[in-house]
This record gives sequence, structure tokens and C-alpha cells, in this order.
Amino acid sequence: MNIKIRNTLGEITGASIAMIWMCTNLTEASIMTIESVSKVLAQGIGISIILIIALHIVINILSSIITGKYEKDIDDERDKIYELYALQLSSLIFGISLVITLVLLGWFNLSINTGLIAITFAGFIGSIVSLFLKIYLYR
Amino acid sequence: MFKKKIHIENAVRKLRFNSDEMTQQELAELVGVSRQTIVAIEKYKYTPSLDLAFKIALAFDMEIQEVFYINQ
Repeated sequence: MNIKIRNTLGEITGASIAMIWMCTNLTEASIMTIESVSKVLAQGIGISIILIIALHIVINILSSIITGKYEKDIDDERDKIYELYALQLSSLIFGISLVITLVLLGWFNLSINTGLIAITFAGFIGSIVSLFLKIYLYR
Repeated sequence: MFKKKIHIENAVRKLRFNSDEMTQQELAELVGVSRQTIVAIEKYKYTPSLDLAFKIALAFDMEIQEVFYINQ
């Protein structure tokens, strides 16, 4: 497994853990105030960023210990192209989810809390799916 | 004719061995990409940009068409 796949798996793990944390803290979202829902979502985004950075460091230290050599993660033209594909996919998923959420909010009386959660989760899901695409391209 | 998808192949692996068994890492450092990109090029999983293709050809002191070619 090369360094690109290892780091991408770390990002997936970080984002997934943050999503699970948000899910456990939003079980009673329907009776929560919009302020408390927003706080949980903002904390979740923060947790995912911190986890991704921490996992990146841990994975690189562990792989250096196991393999006995430090492998530099150089970004080149191939990474930029794959990054672009991933960005296109995550934007598509987020865009579709945003439209669906707005339609549900406008015509089907979806609560604002649920809409806010749906939009945030769409961002997370889009990002996780795009990371899986990167793994597929790097395989 | 030109709408057909073309399959670009290369002789990077062979040329590396002919160049004093140059390692993938050495070639990667020479052209400024990661070793994984050289691996992907050799396995035909990734077609490099024109810029990188020229750099690779220059690294072997050859013409670009001697390194990269279309499989008919």
C-alpha cells in the first residue's frame, strides 16, 4: 500500500469518526434548538479537521517505523488531476444534496434543523465518496 | 479516425534498465514527480502530460517518440 492510499484512508477514517460523533450527538435533533444543532455541526467539522491532521501524522510515523525509511509525500501533476476528479465528484454530490434539501425544506415542510444537518452531512458524504474515488485511482 | 481512443504506451521501464539500472526513485527525482507516478506510467495506468513526457525523454537523452508511442 503506497503513501497516497494510506493518507487517503486516514482522511476517510477521520471524516467517518467525526460523522459518527455528530450522529450520536444529534439523536434528538428534532427537539434541539438551531443554536445547539449548529454547535454540534461546527464541533464535528472541527473534530474531523483535527482527526485528519492527527491521523496523517500518526500514519506517517507508523509507516516510517514499520518500513524503516521515511517516504516523502510529493504532490505532482497526477495528484492534481486526481484531486480535480475528486473535487468534481464531491461538488456534484453536495450540489444534488443541496437542491434536494432545499426542495424538501420549501415544499415538504422539512424542519430547518434537519435541513442544516442534511446539508452538512452531504458535504461529509461527498468528501468521503471522493476520497474513495482517489483510492480507486491510486490503486 | 481521431475520435477513437488511443492507447499510449512507453518504454520507460526498459530505458531505466538500459540506463545503468536506474531506480524508479532516481528517475522520479530527476523529473520532479513522486515514485508512485513513475510506477503508474510504467504500468500504463497514467499518461503523463506533455511537459512530463518531455522531461522523461530528456532524462534518457532521447526523443519523445522513442519513449512514448501509440500502440496500433
